[in-house]
Amino acid sequence: MKRLEKLSTLRINPAKSLNFKYKNKKRTGLSGDTVATALYANGIRIFGRSLKYHRPRGLYSLDGESSNTCMQVNGIPNVCAETTLLADGMQVKAQNVAGSPERDLKGFMDKLDWAMPAGFYYRTMHKPAPIWPIALKQVRKAAGLGKISPTFQMPGTYDEIYPRADVCVIGGGPAGMQAALAAAENGLRVILLETRPWLGGFFDYRTVQNSAGESLAQTARQMAQQLDQKTNIRVLKQAAVVGVYNNNLVTAFQKGQGSDYFDERYVEIRATSVVVATGCIERPLLFENNERPGVMQIGCAHRLAHTYGLLPGKQAVFSVGHDLGLEAALDLFDLGLEVTCVADIREDGQDPILLEGLQQRHIPFFRGWVATCAHGTGALNTVTLATTTGTLEKEFACDLLVASAGATPLTGPLSLAQAKLAYEPYTGFFMPQALPANIQVAGRMLGLNHPAAIEASGRLAGILAAADCGASVDSRLKEARENMNQLPGPGPGCKLVTAPVQGRKTFICFDEDTTVKNVKQALAMGFDATELIKRFTAAGTGPGQGGIPGHNLPLLVAQYHGDVTATAMPTTVRVPLVPTYIATYAGTNHDMCKRTPVHASQKAAGGVIRRIGVWKRARYFSKDLSCRTEIENVRTNVGILDASTLGKFRIWGPDALKALQRVYVGDMSNIANGKVKYSAMCNEDACIIDDGVVVKRGENDYYFTTSTARAGATVEWIRYHTRYDGWQFHMVNLTDAFGVINLAGPNARKVLQKVTDADVSDGAFPYAGYREFMIKDAIPVRSMRLGFVGELSFELHVPASYMQSLWDVISKAGKKWGIRNFGLEAQNVLRMEKAHLIIGSESEQRTTLHDVGLGFLWDRNKSGTKTVGAVALRQTENQEGRFKLVGFKMEDPSRPPKDGAIIVDNRIKGYVCIARHSFTLKEPVGLALVEAQLAEEGTRLQIYEDECKGEHIYATVVPTPFYDPEGKRLRM
Amino acid sequence: MAMTLTCPVCGKRNGYEFRYGGEEKGPRPDEADLSPRAWCDYVHMNRCLAGVQEEWWCHKDGCGVWFKTHRDTTTNLEVDKPEAQS
Repeated sequence: MKRLEKLSTLRINPAKSLNFKYKNKKRTGLSGDTVATALYANGIRIFGRSLKYHRPRGLYSLDGESSNTCMQVNGIPNVCAETTLLADGMQVKAQNVAGSPERDLKGFMDKLDWAMPAGFYYRTMHKPAPIWPIALKQVRKAAGLGKISPTFQMPGTYDEIYPRADVCVIGGGPAGMQAALAAAENGLRVILLETRPWLGGFFDYRTVQNSAGESLAQTARQMAQQLDQKTNIRVLKQAAVVGVYNNNLVTAFQKGQGSDYFDERYVEIRATSVVVATGCIERPLLFENNERPGVMQIGCAHRLAHTYGLLPGKQAVFSVGHDLGLEAALDLFDLGLEVTCVADIREDGQDPILLEGLQQRHIPFFRGWVATCAHGTGALNTVTLATTTGTLEKEFACDLLVASAGATPLTGPLSLAQAKLAYEPYTGFFMPQALPANIQVAGRMLGLNHPAAIEASGRLAGILAAADCGASVDSRLKEARENMNQLPGPGPGCKLVTAPVQGRKTFICFDEDTTVKNVKQALAMGFDATELIKRFTAAGTGPGQGGIPGHNLPLLVAQYHGDVTATAMPTTVRVPLVPTYIATYAGTNHDMCKRTPVHASQKAAGGVIRRIGVWKRARYFSKDLSCRTEIENVRTNVGILDASTLGKFRIWGPDALKALQRVYVGDMSNIANGKVKYSAMCNEDACIIDDGVVVKRGENDYYFTTSTARAGATVEWIRYHTRYDGWQFHMVNLTDAFGVINLAGPNARKVLQKVTDADVSDGAFPYAGYREFMIKDAIPVRSMRLGFVGELSFELHVPASYMQSLWDVISKAGKKWGIRNFGLEAQNVLRMEKAHLIIGSESEQRTTLHDVGLGFLWDRNKSGTKTVGAVALRQTENQEGRFKLVGFKMEDPSRPPKDGAIIVDNRIKGYVCIARHSFTLKEPVGLALVEAQLAEEGTRLQIYEDECKGEHIYATVVPTPFYDPEGKRLRM
Repeated sequence: MAMTLTCPVCGKRNGYEFRYGGEEKGPRPDEADLSPRAWCDYVHMNRCLAGVQEEWWCHKDGCGVWFKTHRDTTTNLEVDKPEAQS
């Protein structure tokens, strides 16, 4: 199709052509085209078929409020062709057609509308009950538009930004732009969000002149330039507002333009004040076959020509209710469109200049007439016009019907911002009754038509928004108000809801093929509230998100009740305002994790890394996942483990001891010099949440450890439980500041002795001791002798920056004995053989200190400390029916039960926490939580494993620890 | 999240930065004569007011302070301390 040239309003670049494919043919469009306009330029008029009746559908609004032009683009279904810019190489396919959009084999469905009245799927296909599964399958195949395979991988880059603004302006038309400029005058930070790829709104494509003699399009472009030059205004184009929340939180999705690094990004703005200037859309005119290809709204016809250089037809009839329709008729006539006649719903009130223009061009003008029926099978060929009462009729041949019932405001963002809307009878608009704090409204959505009034309202709103931010605006505000008062106010709106028709094929919702007849059926069945009708007829529940039924539905229902002003309310609007990809919500797919200082060398040494919470740690250093070599090496030789993830804290200050006493169940006041104290923390239900050791490094100065999982919460926990006391103490989380090496095995001391001059003999550094010394005279170490794995071991805490060096030093020194790395799995088995607790493995949310056999850690005689958990410990220590932690051995020693296997008699009596084959003991052992009456030594336990098909296995409760019960090895 | 809270140290911040710490129930009751039921009620039972309640929040992604504030649970907006008790 040949493009109109030399129009100042064009947004396409005739010099830059783009290739795309549609229906297996290579085609071209221009840079600036949307997929829809590019297809239109290639002669495509039928873009797809509707959901239920498979009616042909085409361009209607150019803003994608319906699914008419939803197409598959580059494999992605349901892409809105009207709002997606054409890109080179795009593969475009039609949806929901059997055959082609022009010749859809399912087109016969249109003749079956009588079988599908409102809500028919609620009342059919389910009796007799057995037919429902069959019906379900067929309905599933027929429902929906696009297709996607379950293995589809969404391409593209998705990002997110969280800019902060003083003023957020929603809408980049003349009012929005003026608001942004006005607010920016105070030096405030302004962000403006605009859905289209350019600013300008409804000025952008209009050549009528304002009072200064320049076209509105020119005015808009100049304003846009002004915004560009302001460094404190940030403009986001192709950004559609999705949600508005409490405290002026505005969310939007922005599509990337060619040069952007993202395909889509999520924008979340916290603004002090918000200006809503979203403008208006056209209220669809309701008449028979109102959605036939060839029927389009005023803006669509006007913009096809002015923005994209495409004349929307050859011979046109206009049926409008707004001066914009008259303006479009004149402009398009001048560009070569034959205009058969213009029918205006309004009896009077038209702009006399426009009427004169029609006269000059000899275009017949019908006052008080409206389209009642569009004719033509695939595309339009005739239109029936009638008086608005329906008495007199005429028919006209045409291939374009420009139809519109008037304007209606885009109230979505305002609704979400909790503004109360009410019907205003003069304009016929839903207007905000009371605005929430720090929200301003401007522009066409207030019913203004005059260009200067629209701009002035924007300026006023911008100044008010600046005042909301605390800027001083008095003189400018006064001037702006005076200016507004001198300009024309809101104009009378066209209130016609439907043409005089029965409504069998008058579509109130294009997405769901809901007709006026369906609405009448619903009303007859007693659904007389708009919200009920919406759901019963499905009107407004499609991808267009109610854009087409919009305000027509509540106005129609209000008309039924006879009193529009009192009862009409738009249906509840919910986030998201526009359809959005799940990929955009998912955002960037960062895998965030923490690594220890020796992560790389662990990996290089053959460590198999796994995630544990937020950390990446080495789980195995063997190909044999039973880790036999690692385990036996620790029992007989010496092994080295990276324990850097251990929680580590310093607490100090005059009341530091009080804070420790509050959260630890033991008595922290008697920690001996040079010794660690092992203790536990419980919650207020006496359930154990953490265990660790505490060291007193100085007067009122303590260093303590926690489990890896609790490290993040510890500071918060301690501060929470001391929040009423007003104590003087400080805490710092040193978890990431210190690395930890666990050197374990009978040869551990020999290795350590090689690298330090300090006396680390058993006499000088006994079990449960704490010492600080230097390694190689250079690395400062805090060392503890603990026994988690049941062998002689030294826990070496070093500042993280020294960790790698210490690792290298010890590894080198240990070569003589064949020192080996061991990982978390080996550590797990080793500590299991000693029945040492891992919180979360041998305990759960309801396991108390007593249940796991650590009741001895609790000092009940501690008084005045209000220790967290003490009350419940006292109350539960003799409670009956509790679980107890026990050790067990298998009757059949060939294999251990699976972790998590349940222990049963005729009911569930407990579960296996961990079980492994022990190489040390040469048989399988495990730990389990069982009901107290099964906890006695010698009890037989019946174990049910997942998928055991009724074959239980058996174990016996035995005393723990299994290995070295007297703890001689630890104390070497 | 849409909510904002006013940290006594850092000022008004996004809701994301905070952790909820439960309704204000006052310090722990005296242990003498405290029945298990009364203790459980103190720990677990909440008033669940539809209206303004006093509650604890932690500025976990900021200064880490625990503080009390009033919030209207029906609008999910922080409010100034009400004149009358709700």
